[in-house]
Amino acid sequence: MSRYPTRGVLAITLILIAVALLVLNQGGYLQPAQSLVLRPIAGFQTWLSVRASAVRDLLTSPGDIETLRQQIADLESENAALKQEMIALRERAAETEILAALVDFARSQPESHYLAANVVGRDISPFLKWILIGAGSDDGLQRGMPVVTERGLVGRVVDVFATISRVQLITDPEAAVNVKLQESRADGILVPQLNGDLQVQFLDQSATIELGELVLTSGLGGTMPADISIGKVISVRKRDFELFQEATIEPDVDFDELEIVLVITSFIPIELPEESP
Amino acid sequence: MAYLVAIPLLAFLAILQSTVFSSFGLLDGRPDLVFLAVVAWGISGHARQAMVWGLIGGLLLDLFSGVPFGSSAIVLILVAFLVSLFEGRLWEAHLLMPLWITLAASFIYHFLGIGILVLAGRSIDFVVALNRVILPSAFLNLLLALPASQMAAALRDSLFPPEVSI
Repeated sequence: MSRYPTRGVLAITLILIAVALLVLNQGGYLQPAQSLVLRPIAGFQTWLSVRASAVRDLLTSPGDIETLRQQIADLESENAALKQEMIALRERAAETEILAALVDFARSQPESHYLAANVVGRDISPFLKWILIGAGSDDGLQRGMPVVTERGLVGRVVDVFATISRVQLITDPEAAVNVKLQESRADGILVPQLNGDLQVQFLDQSATIELGELVLTSGLGGTMPADISIGKVISVRKRDFELFQEATIEPDVDFDELEIVLVITSFIPIELPEESP
Repeated sequence: MAYLVAIPLLAFLAILQSTVFSSFGLLDGRPDLVFLAVVAWGISGHARQAMVWGLIGGLLLDLFSGVPFGSSAIVLILVAFLVSLFEGRLWEAHLLMPLWITLAASFIYHFLGIGILVLAGRSIDFVVALNRVILPSAFLNLLLALPASQMAAALRDSLFPPEVSI
């Protein structure tokens, strides 16, 4: 008789272990262990993220590549060293630019306190529009805190570990934000669609909505501060037989290019329902 | 020994998947590096170990995801188990067999993943998911299947060198 379990027994055993961990996690018992594991990983992930971002910037800037090539040709002897230095400096300059914009934004909102955090990763599930940021409970982050950039609303913190947090983007189909339209003053709810569109629903039929109108958070419900920019109206659907009209908006934030974000640490939501992905 | 290698290797792949490969994809599809490692290790002749790799890799992946903790592990264990059903029958039959196995396993991986998300109460548009996520991901996984199986074979040979009779 073999001392090794059959593959069926092994698979069932392993699945039972995974289910037990799932249940324990639902009860919140694994949070300290997860923080412990994530602590060393977060440092490496931040290091890797910065370098990956630099390489991506290099690959997606054709003009810059040409400049780099020219410089490399001129300075053949220092080729490798210069290239490395160039990448590092460019990344630092880009970071400084982002930080300067964020500082300007923070100064324009003196009533709020902000914490800048690097985006260190994205959710591995393509069905969840979540990001990972390199700040956590050690930095004073709490669940429900809004996350912004100088351009507008990014999302809100949904999971906090010691050194890392998960942020649910406003493009996630499960995210819903109370919004208002700046000119028409119509209130609605931002409902991201499964196909990626951002729609504002439940807009009063009597409201006259103009294309290009600015969409802001309304602050209703107490889950988000008021007057954070979200985007502009690009189309309106109004049918006489429907109770409400809908608007599709273009977000101000480029969610694919997020590198540094600001967490509004002075805002604590009144009540946040339990997340269930 | 294989488990000692598995933990840092799968951790590295999970970080890489979350940090680097999340930006390089096709539509919304991305290569699933941990999945590829588990399948490739199963194909390399260590199907039972691949199931344990599935548990470890799945838990590591779930650290970087908002999906219920443990769900990716369940999916990867099931995928490794299904791969193990063909152990010793087909691997040597055809050079392209790892491709077919990876392709089929990729669909199973995503369908099971969607099933768990639906059970968790998340609404998923299946047509959008198929077109934007499952098919592109399966294609990217297919592209990486051969290199992954080659690397797994090299790792197997270095961890378990073939016995030589003198």
